[in-house]
Amino acid sequence: MTDVSEARRLELEQLVADRTRELTQALEQKTALLHEVDHRVKNNLQLISSLLLLQNRRVSDPAVKAAMRAMLDRVNAIATVHRRLFQSDDVERFDVSAFVRDLVADVIGSSARDNIEFSLDLERVDVAAAKAAPLALVISELLSNCMRHAFPDGRAGRIFVGIRRTNGDFRIEITDDGVGVSSAAKSSGFGLTIIQLLCQQLKAKSETTDAEPGTRVLIDLPVNGARS
Amino acid sequence: MNEQPLGVLIVEDEVLLAVELGFLLEEAGCHSVGHAMSSDEAVTLAHDLQPELALVDVHLRDGPTGVEVARTIHEDCGAVALFMTANVKRLPEDFAGACGVIGKPYSSHGVRTALEYLKICMRHGHAPGPVPVGLTLSPAYAELWGLDALPKAG
Repeated sequence: MTDVSEARRLELEQLVADRTRELTQALEQKTALLHEVDHRVKNNLQLISSLLLLQNRRVSDPAVKAAMRAMLDRVNAIATVHRRLFQSDDVERFDVSAFVRDLVADVIGSSARDNIEFSLDLERVDVAAAKAAPLALVISELLSNCMRHAFPDGRAGRIFVGIRRTNGDFRIEITDDGVGVSSAAKSSGFGLTIIQLLCQQLKAKSETTDAEPGTRVLIDLPVNGARS
Repeated sequence: MNEQPLGVLIVEDEVLLAVELGFLLEEAGCHSVGHAMSSDEAVTLAHDLQPELALVDVHLRDGPTGVEVARTIHEDCGAVALFMTANVKRLPEDFAGACGVIGKPYSSHGVRTALEYLKICMRHGHAPGPVPVGLTLSPAYAELWGLDALPKAG
């Protein structure tokens, strides 16, 4: 009797070991596939940027160059998101403060203006990965607007970017000490439309006020799902 | 600062990326000496053209052969290799002898500042300051170029 149950036990252990090995292999294959997809996405975003850059080199009309530059900035914002996704261990959460730091570094570097200063006060906030690209586009669009319209004629200035948690929500603030909303050159209608649509998608509230001098934009979003 | 442009070999199988990189190189005080799309081509061109720096993507036309390419170029051709890849995490700990990596997708500004920085490091043997955003140096090169703190993650 003991021999039979011993044999059966060994048989079951073997089955478990086999099954575990199969599942481990399947998991490894799926993980490798995931990395492959991630790699493809990053490469393809690079391809899109390169196409826009190459075309822009051949264009001389300033209005067209400006439009292409704006598109490039938007693609760069999305590319920055993807560069950071998968860098942390949690692939479902996205660190907004790290993204803002990357974005500001790029904005500073690629701008021809050396008299616009940035100051950052960023609390660490993670959002669901699905929100990363829309949020990145909103922040990028607001920063681009600032850079393009707040400091005309070589006017020097400061741009403050803040991220703060507020009871289950979080608040993004972008404040400049430039020429202000009323006297600013008319911002691109398209840019504002993008911001409004994306805020709807993110269930975010946005508010633009006079910072005297300059402009303050506040965006309030829920961190998780519906607003409390 | 040494005004001679830095001779650079581009090892990248996406043609559009390579062409745009070529333009960026020229804007950063470098000069593109050639473009390879496979590992064989890369090693041949590195031997024949003797670049100072090679920008190497990990995934080439003949598969994920970029890591070996970087090692060969460094050991046999005496050039400094720099990875440009979306797969930063898959690189070996010793970076296969390369000086570092720029993660894809990269920005034009990121690449330009990285190249300007590397040119100074290579020509002067010492880093002019902290590592710019977008560039990560290998531990060996961070030490070689006198960076006290850990290299800044890109």
